[in-house]
Amino acid sequence: MHEMSVALEVCRMAEERLGRDALGGVVAVGLEVGDDAGVEPENLAFCLEAVLATPPFHGAKPVIKRLPGDVLRLSYLEVEDAGPND
Amino acid sequence: MPVRTIDVRERVMAKNDELAAGVRARLRAAGVPTFNLVSSPGSGKTLLLERTLADLGAELDIAVITGDVQTQNDADRLARHTDRLVQAVVTNGACHLDARQVATALDAIDLVETDLLFIENVGNLVCPASWDLGEDAKVVLFSVTEGEDKPAKYPKMFREARVCVFTKMDLLAHVPFSVVRATGIALDVNPELQFLYTSALQPAGMDEWYGFLRARARRASAA
Repeated sequence: MHEMSVALEVCRMAEERLGRDALGGVVAVGLEVGDDAGVEPENLAFCLEAVLATPPFHGAKPVIKRLPGDVLRLSYLEVEDAGPND
Repeated sequence: MPVRTIDVRERVMAKNDELAAGVRARLRAAGVPTFNLVSSPGSGKTLLLERTLADLGAELDIAVITGDVQTQNDADRLARHTDRLVQAVVTNGACHLDARQVATALDAIDLVETDLLFIENVGNLVCPASWDLGEDAKVVLFSVTEGEDKPAKYPKMFREARVCVFTKMDLLAHVPFSVVRATGIALDVNPELQFLYTSALQPAGMDEWYGFLRARARRASAA
């Protein structure tokens, strides 16, 4: 039921990381979702697709890994690698 | 374009938990025991608080933060029973309160003049279980008009709660609800759960509830 709140928080965390490390465009957002996390993975994926369709994500794909327990974690970001600037 | 993977490994609740720790530190420093009231909609959170404010208001300075998806109706109801400001948080669609909203609401509460703080969460047995608000304990209300198996259906909430308050006990004669069976199911989920049995409309069992609150308030003031 609160999957949209979780999706928005994931985007806030991802944006913070993108800004901090001056990263390029996001291709995928990886999450770990525990069976007891109180989150319905399919619904979360649906909410993430909606919020990741907007800038600065431009359609990044959510990738959800199911785990036992109550873990709920942003595990990785897959970003475009523009290579060295020089 | 090639892609690379950036390891993040951060808990989604980390920011909320950091804010909740700040709320908890403020409340502990001020010696204000705080209870986060959670339940399904219509279990009697507001009525329990109305009765509590009316009966204990002269003895304890009680502050309340209410959360609702829409309207300030609960805050308006409670305001009739206290001279203190009841802080209404309208979540505008969100299914739970979060620590940021509570931190903001606390800014308007004089904690020095507060013996006890209630946070009346949004009526919902799912989402509020996941959000730490900086409270001392979650108190889950369980009305006898609900199914006895609510704790089995919503285990996270009953695991997170420290106290379970049965409500609407005056309706027991009219509903097929076994308190013994419901208590057993709740204990299967959380063997540490403490139980209170109340009716706020036709007052019964309220003294035990008040005793629980008084003990917590005294402990806080002695600390």
